Amino acid sequence: MARKTRKYGKDVPFSLTSMMDMMTIILVFMIKNIDAEGQLVTQAENLILPVSTSKIQPKEVSLTVVVDANYVLVDNAKIISTDEVLQQQELLLTKVDSVLQERRKAEQEHALAAGLPADEAGNIVVQIDKNIPYDAMYKVMATCGFAGYTNIAFAVMMKNGGEE
Amino acid sequence: MAKELKPPKDPDEPDLLPAMGLFTILIPMLLSMTAFQKLAIVEVTLPERSMMNMTNDAPPEPDQQALNLSLAITPEYLVIGARGGFQPNVYFKEMWTFRCKSDSKLITYSPEEVKAAVDAGHGPKCQDGQEMDKEKYLYEIETIELWALEKTSEEDPGRVRWALYSSQGENVPDSAFVNGNNEFIAMTGEGPGGLKAPAGLKKPGAGTALATLTPNSARKLKPEDAAKNIIYPLSAYDLIAKDLIAIHTQFIDLEDVDNIIVVANDDTQFDKIISLMDRAKSAGFAKVNLAKLGGG
Repeated sequence: MARKTRKYGKDVPFSLTSMMDMMTIILVFMIKNIDAEGQLVTQAENLILPVSTSKIQPKEVSLTVVVDANYVLVDNAKIISTDEVLQQQELLLTKVDSVLQERRKAEQEHALAAGLPADEAGNIVVQIDKNIPYDAMYKVMATCGFAGYTNIAFAVMMKNGGEE
Repeated sequence: MAKELKPPKDPDEPDLLPAMGLFTILIPMLLSMTAFQKLAIVEVTLPERSMMNMTNDAPPEPDQQALNLSLAITPEYLVIGARGGFQPNVYFKEMWTFRCKSDSKLITYSPEEVKAAVDAGHGPKCQDGQEMDKEKYLYEIETIELWALEKTSEEDPGRVRWALYSSQGENVPDSAFVNGNNEFIAMTGEGPGGLKAPAGLKKPGAGTALATLTPNSARKLKPEDAAKNIIYPLSAYDLIAKDLIAIHTQFIDLEDVDNIIVVANDDTQFDKIISLMDRAKSAGFAKVNLAKLGGG
Protein backbone atom coordinates (compact mmCIF):
# COMPACT_ATOMS: atom_id res chain seq x y z
CA MET A 1 0.00 0.00 0.00
CA ALA A 2 1.33 3.36 -0.92
CA ARG A 3 2.17 5.56 2.05
CA LYS A 4 0.09 8.67 2.40
CA THR A 5 2.15 11.79 2.37
CA ARG A 6 0.96 14.84 4.24
CA LYS A 7 0.51 17.84 2.05
CA TYR A 8 1.88 21.19 3.19
CA GLY A 9 1.15 24.60 1.79
CA LYS A 10 3.78 25.98 -0.46
CA ASP A 11 4.97 28.97 1.63
CA VAL A 12 4.73 28.09 5.32
CA PRO A 13 6.81 30.78 7.12
CA PHE A 14 9.07 29.63 9.95
CA SER A 15 7.74 31.45 13.03
CA LEU A 16 10.51 32.77 15.25
CA THR A 17 8.19 34.53 17.71
CA SER A 18 7.92 31.60 20.15
CA MET A 19 11.68 31.06 19.96
CA MET A 20 12.20 34.76 20.71
CA ASP A 21 9.95 34.46 23.79
CA MET A 22 12.00 31.56 25.07
CA MET A 23 15.30 33.34 24.40
CA THR A 24 14.06 36.48 26.19
CA ILE A 25 13.15 34.47 29.30
CA ILE A 26 16.54 32.74 29.29
CA LEU A 27 18.33 36.04 28.77
CA VAL A 28 16.53 37.73 31.69
CA PHE A 29 17.32 34.75 33.94
CA MET A 30 20.99 34.85 32.93
CA ILE A 31 21.31 38.60 33.50
CA LYS A 32 19.76 38.16 36.95
CA ASN A 33 22.32 35.51 37.91
CA ILE A 34 25.34 37.06 36.25
CA ASP A 35 28.44 37.53 38.36
CA ALA A 36 30.39 40.22 36.56
CA GLU A 37 33.28 40.14 39.07
CA GLY A 38 33.93 36.45 38.53
CA GLN A 39 34.62 33.86 41.21
CA LEU A 40 38.00 33.89 42.89
CA VAL A 41 37.12 30.74 44.80
CA THR A 42 35.69 27.69 43.11
CA GLN A 43 34.22 24.82 45.04
CA ALA A 44 36.34 21.68 45.17
CA GLU A 45 34.91 18.32 44.17
CA ASN A 46 33.75 15.67 46.64
CA LEU A 47 32.72 18.04 49.38
CA ILE A 48 29.72 20.02 50.53
CA LEU A 49 30.51 23.42 51.98
CA PRO A 50 28.49 24.74 54.92
CA VAL A 51 25.91 27.44 54.28
CA SER A 52 26.60 30.84 55.83
CA THR A 53 25.08 34.29 56.00
CA SER A 54 28.50 35.77 55.14
CA LYS A 55 28.64 37.85 51.97
CA ILE A 56 32.36 38.60 52.11
CA GLN A 57 34.08 37.87 48.83
CA PRO A 58 37.81 37.03 48.64
CA LYS A 59 39.82 40.00 47.39
CA GLU A 60 42.55 38.03 45.66
CA VAL A 61 43.39 34.53 44.52
CA SER A 62 44.92 32.62 47.43
CA LEU A 63 46.40 29.22 48.07
CA THR A 64 43.60 26.71 48.73
CA VAL A 65 43.59 23.82 51.16
CA VAL A 66 40.75 21.33 50.81
CA VAL A 67 39.65 18.90 53.50
CA ASP A 68 37.12 16.34 52.28
CA ALA A 69 36.04 13.04 53.77
CA ASN A 70 39.07 11.25 52.27
CA TYR A 71 42.02 13.59 51.87
CA VAL A 72 43.66 16.88 52.73
CA LEU A 73 44.69 18.56 49.46
CA VAL A 74 46.92 21.58 48.90
CA ASP A 75 46.28 23.16 45.49
CA ASN A 76 44.52 19.96 44.33
CA ALA A 77 47.45 17.71 45.30
CA LYS A 78 46.62 14.95 47.81
CA ILE A 79 48.92 15.32 50.81
CA ILE A 80 47.54 13.16 53.61
CA SER A 81 44.40 11.12 54.27
CA THR A 82 41.77 12.64 56.56
CA ASP A 83 41.77 9.45 58.65
CA GLU A 84 45.49 9.92 59.34
CA VAL A 85 44.82 13.49 60.41
CA LEU A 86 42.15 12.34 62.85
CA GLN A 87 44.28 9.54 64.26
CA GLN A 88 47.41 11.55 64.99
CA GLN A 89 47.75 13.18 68.41
CA GLU A 90 50.01 16.09 67.43
CA LEU A 91 48.51 19.37 66.31
CA LEU A 92 51.04 19.91 63.51
CA LEU A 93 50.49 17.98 60.26
CA THR A 94 54.12 17.66 59.16
CA LYS A 95 53.40 16.61 55.54
CA VAL A 96 51.01 19.51 55.03
CA ASP A 97 53.36 21.86 56.86
CA SER A 98 56.33 21.07 54.59
CA VAL A 99 54.23 21.73 51.46
CA LEU A 100 52.88 24.97 52.90
CA GLN A 101 56.34 26.13 54.01
CA GLU A 102 57.59 25.58 50.44
CA ARG A 103 54.68 27.56 49.01
CA ARG A 104 55.13 30.33 51.54
CA LYS A 105 58.84 30.57 50.73
CA ALA A 106 58.08 30.75 47.01
CA GLU A 107 55.46 33.45 47.66
CA GLN A 108 57.95 35.49 49.70
CA GLU A 109 60.63 35.20 47.02
CA HIS A 110 58.12 36.26 44.41
CA ALA A 111 57.08 39.25 46.57
CA LEU A 112 60.74 40.29 47.07
CA ALA A 113 61.39 40.05 43.33
CA ALA A 114 58.37 42.24 42.70
CA GLY A 115 59.52 44.77 45.30
CA LEU A 116 56.62 44.02 47.65
CA PRO A 117 56.86 43.43 51.42
CA ALA A 118 57.59 39.75 52.00
CA ASP A 119 57.01 39.57 55.74
CA GLU A 120 53.24 40.08 55.62
CA ALA A 121 50.98 37.25 56.83
CA GLY A 122 50.06 34.78 54.11
CA ASN A 123 46.48 34.42 52.88
CA ILE A 124 44.90 31.01 52.57
CA VAL A 125 41.40 29.77 51.80
CA VAL A 126 40.39 26.51 53.49
CA GLN A 127 37.52 24.50 52.01
CA ILE A 128 36.21 21.97 54.51
CA ASP A 129 33.32 19.54 54.07
CA LYS A 130 30.54 20.49 56.45
CA ASN A 131 30.58 17.06 58.13
CA ILE A 132 34.31 17.04 58.90
CA PRO A 133 35.00 16.89 62.66
CA TYR A 134 36.42 19.95 64.40
CA ASP A 135 39.58 18.02 65.32
CA ALA A 136 40.66 17.76 61.66
CA MET A 137 39.73 21.36 60.96
CA TYR A 138 41.64 22.60 64.00
CA LYS A 139 44.81 20.70 63.06
CA VAL A 140 44.70 21.99 59.48
CA MET A 141 44.12 25.53 60.71
CA ALA A 142 46.97 25.35 63.23
CA THR A 143 49.29 23.93 60.56
CA CYS A 144 48.41 26.78 58.18
CA GLY A 145 49.14 29.29 60.94
CA PHE A 146 52.45 27.64 61.78
CA ALA A 147 53.52 27.76 58.13
CA GLY A 148 52.92 31.52 58.09
CA TYR A 149 49.43 31.55 56.61
CA THR A 150 47.72 33.39 59.45
CA ASN A 151 45.04 35.11 57.34
CA ILE A 152 42.74 32.12 57.18
CA ALA A 153 39.34 32.21 55.51
CA PHE A 154 36.86 29.34 55.34
CA ALA A 155 34.97 28.96 52.08
CA VAL A 156 31.20 28.77 52.53
CA MET A 157 28.10 28.77 50.37
CA MET A 158 26.00 31.90 50.59
CA LYS A 159 22.58 31.43 52.19
CA ASN A 160 19.76 31.51 49.60
CA GLY A 161 22.37 31.77 46.84
CA GLY A 162 23.34 35.22 48.07
CA GLU A 163 19.90 36.71 47.54
CA GLU A 164 18.22 38.87 50.17
CA MET B 1 -16.40 62.56 -4.54
CA ALA B 2 -16.41 59.80 -2.00
CA LYS B 3 -12.94 58.58 -1.02
CA GLU B 4 -12.29 54.98 -1.85
CA LEU B 5 -11.37 52.95 1.23
CA LYS B 6 -8.61 50.45 0.75
CA PRO B 7 -8.95 47.13 2.57
CA PRO B 8 -6.46 46.94 5.52
CA LYS B 9 -3.22 45.28 4.58
CA ASP B 10 -1.71 42.54 6.80
CA PRO B 11 1.22 44.11 8.70
CA ASP B 12 4.63 42.75 7.77
CA GLU B 13 6.24 40.50 10.37
CA PRO B 14 9.44 42.06 11.75
CA ASP B 15 12.61 40.29 10.73
CA LEU B 16 13.63 38.48 13.91
CA LEU B 17 16.63 36.66 12.51
CA PRO B 18 19.25 39.33 13.50
CA ALA B 19 17.80 39.44 17.03
CA MET B 20 17.99 35.64 17.19
CA GLY B 21 21.63 35.79 16.13
CA LEU B 22 22.36 38.29 18.90
CA PHE B 23 20.61 36.14 21.49
CA THR B 24 22.47 33.04 20.36
CA ILE B 25 25.78 34.84 21.01
CA LEU B 26 24.64 36.48 24.28
CA ILE B 27 23.29 33.36 25.95
CA PRO B 28 26.49 31.21 25.86
CA MET B 29 28.50 34.26 26.96
CA LEU B 30 26.22 34.93 29.94
CA LEU B 31 26.05 31.23 30.74
CA SER B 32 29.82 31.18 31.19
CA MET B 33 29.59 34.13 33.61
CA THR B 34 26.63 32.89 35.62
CA ALA B 35 27.14 31.82 39.23
CA PHE B 36 24.39 29.42 40.24
CA GLN B 37 25.80 28.86 43.73
CA LYS B 38 27.72 31.81 45.09
CA LEU B 39 30.66 31.21 47.39
CA ALA B 40 31.80 33.53 50.16
CA ILE B 41 34.42 33.40 52.89
CA VAL B 42 34.30 33.52 56.69
CA GLU B 43 37.47 34.98 58.16
CA VAL B 44 38.98 33.65 61.34
CA THR B 45 41.52 35.37 63.53
CA LEU B 46 44.70 33.48 64.22
CA PRO B 47 47.69 34.63 66.30
CA GLU B 48 50.79 35.75 64.35
CA ARG B 49 53.54 33.18 63.89
CA SER B 50 55.66 34.65 66.63
CA MET B 51 52.76 34.11 68.99
CA MET B 52 51.91 30.61 67.75
CA ASN B 53 52.66 28.24 70.58
CA MET B 54 52.99 24.56 69.74
CA THR B 55 54.32 23.62 73.18
CA ASN B 56 52.40 22.99 76.37
CA ASP B 57 53.49 26.18 78.12
CA ALA B 58 50.91 27.73 80.43
CA PRO B 59 48.88 30.52 78.77
CA PRO B 60 49.32 34.09 80.09
CA GLU B 61 47.09 35.32 82.91
CA PRO B 62 43.79 36.74 81.60
CA ASP B 63 43.14 40.48 81.83
CA GLN B 64 40.66 41.05 84.67
CA GLN B 65 39.15 44.12 82.99
CA ALA B 66 38.51 42.32 79.72
CA LEU B 67 35.28 40.57 78.78
CA ASN B 68 37.04 37.32 77.74
CA LEU B 69 33.92 36.08 75.99
CA SER B 70 33.69 32.48 74.88
CA LEU B 71 30.96 30.42 73.26
CA ALA B 72 31.19 26.68 73.84
CA ILE B 73 29.35 23.88 72.11
CA THR B 74 29.08 20.38 73.57
CA PRO B 75 26.99 17.46 72.25
CA GLU B 76 24.11 18.58 74.54
CA TYR B 77 24.21 22.30 75.02
CA LEU B 78 25.58 25.71 74.06
CA VAL B 79 26.92 28.02 76.73
CA ILE B 80 28.32 31.55 76.83
CA GLY B 81 31.16 32.27 79.25
CA ALA B 82 32.68 35.60 80.27
CA ARG B 83 35.09 36.68 83.01
CA GLY B 84 35.26 33.15 84.42
CA GLY B 85 31.46 32.79 84.76
CA PHE B 86 28.86 31.10 82.57
CA GLN B 87 25.33 31.87 81.48
CA PRO B 88 22.70 29.10 81.82
CA ASN B 89 23.16 26.24 79.35
CA VAL B 90 21.05 26.31 76.21
CA TYR B 91 20.15 22.64 75.78
CA PHE B 92 19.33 21.29 72.34
CA LYS B 93 18.25 18.22 70.42
CA GLU B 94 20.28 17.72 67.25
CA MET B 95 18.27 17.00 64.11
CA TRP B 96 19.43 16.33 60.55
CA THR B 97 17.30 17.52 57.65
CA PHE B 98 18.01 15.58 54.46
CA ARG B 99 17.08 16.46 50.91
CA CYS B 100 16.47 13.15 49.22
CA LYS B 101 17.84 12.66 45.72
CA SER B 102 14.90 10.42 44.81
CA ASP B 103 12.06 12.90 45.42
CA SER B 104 13.94 16.19 46.16
CA LYS B 105 11.87 16.57 49.33
CA LEU B 106 13.06 17.39 52.84
CA ILE B 107 12.85 14.92 55.71
CA THR B 108 14.15 15.34 59.26
CA TYR B 109 15.61 12.65 61.53
CA SER B 110 17.58 12.65 64.75
CA PRO B 111 21.15 11.26 64.49
CA GLU B 112 20.02 8.36 66.73
CA GLU B 113 17.27 7.39 64.26
CA VAL B 114 19.75 7.55 61.37
CA LYS B 115 22.30 5.47 63.28
CA ALA B 116 19.65 2.84 64.14
CA ALA B 117 18.63 2.58 60.47
CA VAL B 118 22.26 2.29 59.31
CA ASP B 119 23.06 -0.31 62.00
CA ALA B 120 20.08 -2.34 60.73
CA GLY B 121 21.62 -2.26 57.24
CA HIS B 122 19.38 0.44 55.75
CA GLY B 123 19.76 4.07 54.77
CA PRO B 124 17.37 6.70 56.16
CA LYS B 125 14.01 6.62 54.35
CA CYS B 126 12.75 9.41 52.10
CA GLN B 127 9.16 10.62 51.95
CA ASP B 128 8.53 8.52 48.83
CA GLY B 129 9.64 5.37 50.68
CA GLN B 130 13.01 5.12 48.89
CA GLU B 131 16.10 4.61 51.01
CA MET B 132 19.14 6.87 50.89
CA ASP B 133 22.54 5.31 50.24
CA LYS B 134 23.67 4.03 53.63
CA GLU B 135 27.31 4.87 52.77
CA LYS B 136 26.71 8.38 51.42
CA TYR B 137 23.65 9.61 53.33
CA LEU B 138 25.80 12.29 55.01
CA TYR B 139 26.07 14.06 51.64
CA GLU B 140 22.28 14.41 51.57
CA ILE B 141 22.15 16.39 54.82
CA GLU B 142 20.92 19.86 53.95
CA THR B 143 20.93 21.38 57.43
CA ILE B 144 22.01 20.34 60.89
CA GLU B 145 19.43 21.83 63.23
CA LEU B 146 19.70 22.30 66.98
CA TRP B 147 16.19 22.35 68.46
CA ALA B 148 16.12 24.22 71.78
CA LEU B 149 14.92 22.16 74.75
CA GLU B 150 13.06 23.24 77.88
CA LYS B 151 14.61 21.37 80.81
CA THR B 152 13.63 21.44 84.47
CA SER B 153 16.73 19.56 85.70
CA GLU B 154 19.92 17.93 84.40
CA GLU B 155 18.19 14.53 84.35
CA ASP B 156 15.10 15.82 82.53
CA PRO B 157 15.28 14.71 78.85
CA GLY B 158 13.62 18.02 77.98
CA ARG B 159 10.84 19.11 75.67
CA VAL B 160 11.23 20.91 72.37
CA ARG B 161 10.34 24.62 72.28
CA TRP B 162 8.41 25.85 69.26
CA ALA B 163 8.46 29.37 67.86
CA LEU B 164 7.10 31.57 65.12
CA TYR B 165 9.38 31.79 62.08
CA SER B 166 9.26 33.49 58.72
CA SER B 167 9.69 31.08 55.83
CA GLN B 168 10.61 31.18 52.17
CA GLY B 169 8.68 27.96 51.53
CA GLU B 170 8.90 24.17 51.99
CA ASN B 171 8.29 24.66 55.74
CA VAL B 172 11.94 25.76 56.10
CA PRO B 173 12.45 28.35 58.88
CA ASP B 174 14.17 31.62 58.08
CA SER B 175 14.12 34.20 60.91
CA ALA B 176 12.57 33.81 64.36
CA PHE B 177 10.16 36.57 65.37
CA VAL B 178 10.34 38.45 68.67
CA ASN B 179 7.63 40.54 70.31
CA GLY B 180 7.82 44.08 71.68
CA ASN B 181 9.68 42.84 74.79
CA ASN B 182 12.37 41.25 72.59
CA GLU B 183 11.17 37.77 73.57
CA PHE B 184 10.71 34.92 71.12
CA ILE B 185 7.09 34.08 70.35
CA ALA B 186 7.58 30.54 71.62
CA MET B 187 5.95 27.77 73.66
CA THR B 188 6.95 24.30 74.81
CA GLY B 189 5.75 21.53 72.51
CA GLU B 190 3.14 18.88 73.30
CA GLY B 191 3.38 15.08 73.44
CA PRO B 192 6.46 12.99 74.23
CA GLY B 193 9.58 15.15 74.08
CA GLY B 194 7.47 18.14 73.04
CA LEU B 195 7.76 16.99 69.43
CA LYS B 196 4.22 18.14 68.56
CA ALA B 197 3.64 21.84 67.90
CA PRO B 198 1.71 23.43 70.81
CA ALA B 199 -1.91 24.15 69.96
CA GLY B 200 -1.70 27.37 71.98
CA LEU B 201 0.94 28.89 69.70
CA LYS B 202 -0.98 30.55 66.90
CA LYS B 203 0.33 32.31 63.83
CA PRO B 204 -0.43 36.05 64.17
CA GLY B 205 -2.57 37.61 61.51
CA ALA B 206 -1.84 40.49 59.16
CA GLY B 207 -1.25 43.85 60.86
CA THR B 208 0.51 42.39 63.93
CA ALA B 209 3.73 44.26 64.81
CA LEU B 210 6.71 41.89 64.94
CA ALA B 211 10.49 42.02 64.66
CA THR B 212 13.37 39.64 64.09
CA LEU B 213 16.84 39.71 65.69
CA THR B 214 18.08 41.91 62.83
CA PRO B 215 18.34 45.61 63.86
CA ASN B 216 15.48 47.88 62.72
CA SER B 217 13.43 44.91 61.53
CA ALA B 218 10.19 45.81 63.37
CA ARG B 219 7.25 45.89 60.98
CA LYS B 220 3.57 45.19 60.66
CA LEU B 221 2.86 41.87 58.98
CA LYS B 222 1.49 42.13 55.47
CA PRO B 223 -1.24 39.61 54.58
CA GLU B 224 1.01 37.78 52.09
CA ASP B 225 3.86 37.57 54.67
CA ALA B 226 1.55 36.47 57.49
CA ALA B 227 0.42 33.51 55.37
CA LYS B 228 4.03 32.39 54.83
CA ASN B 229 4.95 32.25 58.55
CA ILE B 230 5.37 28.86 60.15
CA ILE B 231 5.47 27.32 63.63
CA TYR B 232 8.79 25.46 63.86
CA PRO B 233 11.07 24.20 66.66
CA LEU B 234 13.04 27.12 68.11
CA SER B 235 16.71 26.97 67.17
CA ALA B 236 19.32 26.99 69.93
CA TYR B 237 21.42 29.10 67.56
CA ASP B 238 18.73 31.82 67.69
CA LEU B 239 18.64 31.75 71.51
CA ILE B 240 22.42 32.17 71.58
CA ALA B 241 22.33 34.90 68.92
CA LYS B 242 19.89 36.92 71.06
CA ASP B 243 22.17 36.62 74.12
CA LEU B 244 25.25 37.57 72.08
CA ILE B 245 23.55 40.71 70.74
CA ALA B 246 22.59 41.70 74.30
CA ILE B 247 26.16 41.12 75.59
CA HIS B 248 27.75 43.08 72.74
CA THR B 249 25.40 46.02 73.37
CA GLN B 250 25.91 45.95 77.14
CA PHE B 251 29.73 45.85 77.07
CA ILE B 252 30.30 48.07 74.05
CA ASP B 253 32.86 50.22 75.94
CA LEU B 254 35.25 47.36 76.70
CA GLU B 255 38.42 47.04 74.66
CA ASP B 256 37.87 43.39 73.71
CA VAL B 257 34.13 43.71 73.01
CA ASP B 258 34.61 42.56 69.41
CA ASN B 259 36.47 39.37 70.39
CA ILE B 260 34.94 35.98 70.96
CA ILE B 261 36.40 32.49 71.21
CA VAL B 262 34.32 29.61 69.83
CA VAL B 263 35.14 26.48 71.80
CA ALA B 264 34.18 22.99 70.64
CA ASN B 265 35.13 19.38 71.21
CA ASP B 266 36.89 17.16 68.68
CA ASP B 267 33.87 15.55 67.03
CA THR B 268 31.77 18.69 66.48
CA GLN B 269 30.88 18.98 62.79
CA PHE B 270 32.35 21.94 60.89
CA ASP B 271 28.82 23.03 59.92
CA LYS B 272 28.03 23.82 63.57
CA ILE B 273 31.23 25.86 63.95
CA ILE B 274 30.33 27.98 60.91
CA SER B 275 26.77 28.46 62.22
CA LEU B 276 28.14 29.72 65.56
CA MET B 277 30.67 31.97 63.83
CA ASP B 278 27.83 33.39 61.72
CA ARG B 279 25.77 34.23 64.81
CA ALA B 280 28.79 35.77 66.56
CA LYS B 281 29.71 37.94 63.56
CA SER B 282 26.07 39.05 63.13
CA ALA B 283 26.01 40.09 66.79
CA GLY B 284 29.03 42.36 66.23
CA PHE B 285 31.92 40.11 67.24
CA ALA B 286 34.25 40.76 64.32
CA LYS B 287 37.24 38.84 65.66
CA VAL B 288 36.36 35.19 66.05
CA ASN B 289 38.99 32.85 67.44
CA LEU B 290 38.74 29.10 67.76
CA ALA B 291 39.78 26.81 70.60
CA LYS B 292 39.30 23.22 71.70
CA LEU B 293 37.15 22.25 74.63
CA GLY B 294 39.34 21.17 77.53
CA GLY B 295 42.43 23.01 76.22
CA GLY B 296 44.39 22.62 72.99
